[in-house]
This record gives sequence, C-alpha cells and structure tokens, in this order.
Amino acid sequence: MSDENKNCCSPETGEPTATRSSAPMWIIVVTLVLLFTGGLFLDSHSGWFDKNVYAPYQSREQLESIQPKSGEKQLLARGKAVYESVCGICHGSDGLGKPGQAPALAGSEWVMAKGASRLAHIPLAGVAGAIQVGGKDWNMNMAAMGAALPDEDVAAVLTYIRSSWGNKADAVTADDVKKVRAEIGKSPQPYSGSQLLKMPE
Amino acid sequence: MNLTENNENKAICSSEIDASCRLPLLALFGGAALWLVLGLALGIVAMLSFHQPDMFADCSCLTYGHAQTAANDLLLYGFVMPAALGVILWIFARLSQVTLVLPIVPVVAANLWHLGVFVGTVTILFGGSTGHPWLEYPRAAAVLLFAAFMLISVSAAATLGFRTHRELYPSHWFLLAGLLWFVWSYGTANLFLVGNHPPRGVVQAVIGWWLTNNLLFVWLALAGIGIAFYFLPKIVGKPLASSGYALFGFLTLIFFGTWVGIPPSAPVPAWLPTVSAFGALLSIIPVIALGIVAMKTVCCAKVPCVGGSFCFIKFGVLSFVVSSLLYIGEFCPRASRVLDFTWFNVGVTQWQLLGFAGMILCGAIYEILPRVMGKELPFAKLAKLNFFLFAGGTLLFVIPLLIGGVEQGMKLRDANIPFADASAVALKFLRISTTGQLLVLLGALCLLLNILVMTIQWKLGLVKTVVSVVKDSLIEGSAYQPLPGDKEAKS
Repeated sequence: MSDENKNCCSPETGEPTATRSSAPMWIIVVTLVLLFTGGLFLDSHSGWFDKNVYAPYQSREQLESIQPKSGEKQLLARGKAVYESVCGICHGSDGLGKPGQAPALAGSEWVMAKGASRLAHIPLAGVAGAIQVGGKDWNMNMAAMGAALPDEDVAAVLTYIRSSWGNKADAVTADDVKKVRAEIGKSPQPYSGSQLLKMPE
Repeated sequence: MNLTENNENKAICSSEIDASCRLPLLALFGGAALWLVLGLALGIVAMLSFHQPDMFADCSCLTYGHAQTAANDLLLYGFVMPAALGVILWIFARLSQVTLVLPIVPVVAANLWHLGVFVGTVTILFGGSTGHPWLEYPRAAAVLLFAAFMLISVSAAATLGFRTHRELYPSHWFLLAGLLWFVWSYGTANLFLVGNHPPRGVVQAVIGWWLTNNLLFVWLALAGIGIAFYFLPKIVGKPLASSGYALFGFLTLIFFGTWVGIPPSAPVPAWLPTVSAFGALLSIIPVIALGIVAMKTVCCAKVPCVGGSFCFIKFGVLSFVVSSLLYIGEFCPRASRVLDFTWFNVGVTQWQLLGFAGMILCGAIYEILPRVMGKELPFAKLAKLNFFLFAGGTLLFVIPLLIGGVEQGMKLRDANIPFADASAVALKFLRISTTGQLLVLLGALCLLLNILVMTIQWKLGLVKTVVSVVKDSLIEGSAYQPLPGDKEAKS
C-alpha cells in the first residue's frame, strides 16, 4: 500500500484495477445467433413497421386478405379463389399454362375477346379436338370444369382471367353466364375449336 | 496498471478524499435511509388493504392507490437514486484520486433532492399524482429532482475531469453512462408527459413504458453493476476479471437494453412490442456477460462472507442476473399472455429495486460510511443483521409474488374461472409476501439507525470541538489557535 496511507489513513487496499482482455469469441457467436433468431422474429411479427398492423396480425397482406371486399375487388378476389382451386392446376397460377396439356391464358386471344360469350362456352361445356391458341395448334381435351359452378363463380373466374397477368378485357356478369348456360342446354357436349370460332364473341 | 505505481506525485491520501465527501454523502445517505424506511412502511400499509380492506377506508391518503404509488416512488427516487448518487460521488473521487470538486454543490443538491421527494410524496398521498408510471411526482417535484441530479452530475463530472490517472476503469463507463442516462430519459419523459402539451392517446403509455424500462432495467443495471464492479475487486483484492466481457456487456446493455419495455399485449402497432421483444432477447447477452465478470472476479476469493458488504454485493449481483432474466421473460409474447396483469410484474420490479439495487447500495454504504466518517460503524452487528433481514425478507417478499402471479395468470386465462376467483388466488401468497416486507423494513431500520447514530456522534464531536476552542480562547484570552480536529470540522 502507498506510503501516505500508512501516515494518515487506516490500512486500505488500492483502487481496483481491471485485467485487460478482449471479448471472447463464444459470446460474439451467441450474440450473432440471437441477432439472427431475433431478426426472424422481427421479420415475421413486426408487420414491417406498418402503423396499421396490430397484434395478433403480422403483416399488411394478412390484414388485406381478411378485409371485407366490395364491387370489382370482391369479384376479383372471388375469381382468384375459384381459379386457384379449379383452373390453376392445369393453366397455372401464373396463367402460363402447361406445355402439351393446357394453353396459356395470359395474352390469349380467346380470353381477351371483346365479348365473353364465346369464352364462357369453354368452361361450361369443355373443349375437345383441335384449337389454335396464340398461333399454336393444340389438341385439347378439357372437361366442362365450370358446369357445376354457380353462375356468379364462373363470372368471377372469367373476370379474373380477363384482367390478370397483363390481360385487359371487360368484366363478365352472372347474367352473361346464365345466357350461355341456357344456350348450351342441360347435357353439354365439348366443342371443337372450329365450332367455337363460328359463335359470336 | 496499479495506481500505487505513480505514488510520488500523489499529494492526496485516501482519508482526505473521504473527508471531502463526508457532508454530501451524509446528506444523501441519511435522507435515503429515511425514505427507504418510509417507503417500505407505506408499502406495507398498501399491502394491508389486501388483508383487511376496510382498515384505512376512512383515510384517503393511505388507500392502496395512493400508498402503493408513493411507496414505489420512495423506493426508487427516495432511496435508490440518492444513495447511488452518493456512492457514485465517492467512487469518482476515489478513482480520480482527488478530493471531491465543489463539495458544497452536492450538499445543496441533496437537500433539493430530498425536498423534491418530500413534495412529490405528499402530493401523491393527497391524490395529486400525475398518473404516469414512475412519473407520478408533480411538475415542481420533478424539476427539483432534475436540477438536483444535474448538480450532482456536474460535481461528479468535474471530479472525474481532475483525475490523476487518465485511463478509465470499467465502473467509470457504467456510472458516467448512468448519470447521462437518467438526465436524458427522465428529462425527455417529463417534458412529454408532465409538460404543457402532452401527446394524446396511447403514445402517453408508450412513453411511460419506455421510461419505466430505462429506469428500472437500464439505469439500475448501469448504477448497480458500476458500483459492484468497483467494490468486488476492492474487497476481494484482485483486479476485475475479463474487462472484455465487461465492455461487451456494457455496450450491448446500452444498445439493446433501451429497446425493451413495451409489453406484448400493448394496444399499439405490432412493431413496437415486436422490437421490444427483440431487444429483450438480445439483452440476455449483457446480463450473462456482466454476471460472468462478477463471478470470475469473486471466484476462489478467500474473503469471509458473514453478512458484510461482500455478502450484500454478491447477493445484489446474483439478484441482478435472476431479476433481469425474469424481466426479459416478461417480454416474450408467450409468457406475457400468462403473466400480464398479475403480481408477477410487481414481484420482478421489487426484486430489481430491493434485491438488486437496494442490496448493492446497502453494501456500498456500509463499506463507505466508516471510511468517510473515519471510524467504525456504531452497530456493526446490526449491519450484519441487516443483510440477513434484507436477503431473507426480499426473497420472502418477491418469490411468493412470482409464484402467485403465475398461478393467477393461469386462472385468468381459463374462461371457466370467474375474475374474482382468479384474483383471490393471490391472497395467500400476499400474506407471505407481507411478512417478507416486514423483515425488509426491519433491515432498513438497522441501516437508518447506523447512519443516524453516526451522524449524531459526528455532530456532537463538532460541538465538542467548538466548545473546547471557545473555552481555550476564553481561558488564555489570547488569539485563536487551530486544533487538530478543527480542520476536519471545517472540511
């Protein structure tokens, strides 16, 4: 101990000192692991700092998916749901179709026809035989996938494919579908491409 | 590097440094001990309303809402803060190896501080609380506290500035950060909430949570660990182990610790509680790192531990680790679903205040007082008793609250159990916990008695010196002659 302390103070250990060392590797690794884990949690729960997202909801998309829809948005949402469950399996959720099996709907002249009457025949009655889509020849064998669906659902799904993936055409109403259904009758037979072409658009 | 290596330049010895701190420390510690006793007593009064609801029914001052709020504020602002400020002043003077700069400033500040606490407590008891958590003091009291804190910080910073040894010791980081942290968070929160134009709606609650976390988690950790890191190596006689851990812990604490605070059930946009939970997860790192430093410093030390300062501080550091981990757990969304709105949160807060900060501060006060006053404690046995009462009392106070909180939370989640039944579950736990509170109160009385008797003895000594000086001058009829004790009295 210092000399002064002997002179004027009671014995006293010196002021504390610290051993020099650097932070060990393991704690840095643990910190990084926690940072990563915390980052995943932040990513999935923070709603990306959106002021409208409250717990227990976790993102803006989730919120929007459960919002009640009205008008055209509602029609599109319904059409999307029907499309994904009925048509998307062959035509693809991106509307690009499957080679040799189902032609693309995106950019298809059949889909983007002025009126929807000709188009509506396809899901309601099915297609069999040769048909030309986008300049390519297809040999189709499509069942009447929409025959069992209510008119509203068929209208919604037609509207959806006519306004998605860059397609732009007018919406289809349930009345349009009803007319086509009446035209086809109770026992639909699949059409061929040439039969369809004779119908008005 | 050891400070004793450059002894030849050192003109000041430890006893002079200690003597320069005497007046401010007496003013801070004396008041702190008094507020501690009062705060604990008020806490018991508040708890009694669960055992006998009509006991204070006719006295609005002592009803639960008033008494519990005043008790909490007395513990934090009455006891923990001034005691910590006193210890910080002394540690800064000792580490700087200079006498306290501007010693009169902290004396004035201590009185301002105690005046502020008094005004605040009386206002709360008579129903004038502002209603914001940990900001219940009215504007006048808040201004007094803020000014007093600034004054003491100035004195501490000046003492630090005159230090003989340029290198900073780990305690410096923590304590200096603590001084800045309080000014920043308390000032900001007061400006927002107690000012003229408080923000509207849920933002108020967000600010309240932010302040609560910054005071109870970050500030307490900075002050408590800073003080522990000074005393542990000093008592053990070894250097502080692994300063790398300490630096890493310090940086992660101040970086991530301040994000915590918004409970997962808060009715605010989801990102706020999510960021809080993220901060809480990362705050595990500093808690573990700082615990490791303390453990490595203390381990294999052959220092007897029978109720002395060493015990207090060891218990305090252990409490820091456990209570902080529990506190962090509250921000885990799954745990929070059970623990929110139960006694669990109360238990954790009391553990942080009494078990962690209170224990470390008591240990520090018992270590400092004999040095500052230049003589032994008048009741050394009471100091030992204080440890056992505090340690046993705190555990008995807090652990039933934690267990009761979990049980209460489980029942609250069950839709078949009525709310009143779920709340009544906690009653039997509250009985045990009030017993613990009583033990802590007895411990606090030991502390108060030691400080009071020491102050009185010292004042009597001053009077005796003055009397003898006057007598001598009368007898000799000659010029004033300084006596050995006189110099001390003036300092």
